[in-house]
Amino acid sequence: MKTRTLVVNSVLAALYVAVSAVIQPIGFSSIQFRIPEMFNHLVVFNKKFFFGIIFGVFLTNLLFSPMRLYDIVFGVGHSAISLGLIILLAKYIKNIWVLLVANTIIFSFNMFIIAFELKLALGFPFLLTWQTTAIGELVVMAIGIPIIFALNKQVKFNQML
Amino acid sequence: MNNALIIGQYVPGNSLVHRLDPRTKITIIFFFVIVVFVANNVPSYGIVTAFALGAMFTSRVPIRYILKGLTPVWFLIIFTFILHLFVTKEGTLFFDFFIFEFYTGGVIQGFAISLRFFLLILVTSLLTLTTTPIEITDAIEEMLDPLKKVRFPVHELALMMSISLRFIPTLMQETEKISKAQSSRGVDFRTGPIKERIKAVVPLLVPLFVSAFKRAEELAMAMEARGYQGGEGRSKLRALKVEKRDILIYLLFAAVVAGLFITRSYG
Repeated sequence: MKTRTLVVNSVLAALYVAVSAVIQPIGFSSIQFRIPEMFNHLVVFNKKFFFGIIFGVFLTNLLFSPMRLYDIVFGVGHSAISLGLIILLAKYIKNIWVLLVANTIIFSFNMFIIAFELKLALGFPFLLTWQTTAIGELVVMAIGIPIIFALNKQVKFNQML
Repeated sequence: MNNALIIGQYVPGNSLVHRLDPRTKITIIFFFVIVVFVANNVPSYGIVTAFALGAMFTSRVPIRYILKGLTPVWFLIIFTFILHLFVTKEGTLFFDFFIFEFYTGGVIQGFAISLRFFLLILVTSLLTLTTTPIEITDAIEEMLDPLKKVRFPVHELALMMSISLRFIPTLMQETEKISKAQSSRGVDFRTGPIKERIKAVVPLLVPLFVSAFKRAEELAMAMEARGYQGGEGRSKLRALKVEKRDILIYLLFAAVVAGLFITRSYG
């Protein structure tokens, strides 16, 4: 890995943790809009952000999650699989908007991994948990699309690495 | 700075748990998370509870820190108990009023799953309460060392973790500073229509990203100027060493696991 890629991804991971810890989620009813959740869209602009996002999820769970080891294994697993799929899809689809929507759907669908975690740890009913967590993820990731797009106009993620 | 800036909630100390090799702690906690599911009756739950509480008292971490760490999950633990009370229809019916039917099986299962969850959180919390993030990084690097043979970038991952840990407090302060600066300009993150609150996120994130990536740029340039070329032939300031106490803890944990399987079969 190039030094620049390594350092930028490390700082991105730190930013993920910092934003998770400092900015309170914006909530409406049972769905919480967690700002770092939309960092998942960064990989659409540049696949090299993969490691930074994964590390951000890992460190946030390690440092702040009460369910630590569970959230590390399943949370990182969920992000890695979803990001991997979108990177794969990006080889065939070049339209950014389509990829952002696909990313939202992939992340939401893959919430079955988190539903399985909750079933394992707490005995929650799998299908109901999958449904509710997937709807929550779908809403926050969909809201994240215009925000990350606006952000990209200013920051130019695709030219960063 | 707020309380969230206490990274990982490490509580300094000199207890046996603090002095254990971080690799020992990670290994034991990893296997504890798996074997806790073996418990299925009172004696086996007794063994895992005794182990978890024993570890907690040996760590000499003040109870208030541990309880503080559990604050976000009390609701989840109680919710789990209530959920099983309503959903599980096993055992004998002991409460029947209107649509509420509670069975003894629901109480037992609710209690068992809540206790298991509580123990999982307690034991995993002890890792970050008694180990600094840097020690955890060193341990992960050492534990992943065999993967170097398949060209897995172990050193790079450890370096990434160290850089991230170095930057987290700085970027937390930066986030707070920018958030306050934008609030003073009239941006409202807490009240108003949802659409406006979400839109308010953009002027917060733009300076944050620009500033963070500028720092990354400077660090990358500084590293390259000093000739950084990866992990080949690098020595370490802190070397991890397995002591007698680590072996004793491994033996104790092996006895716990054996006891768990015996009580599961014959308890």
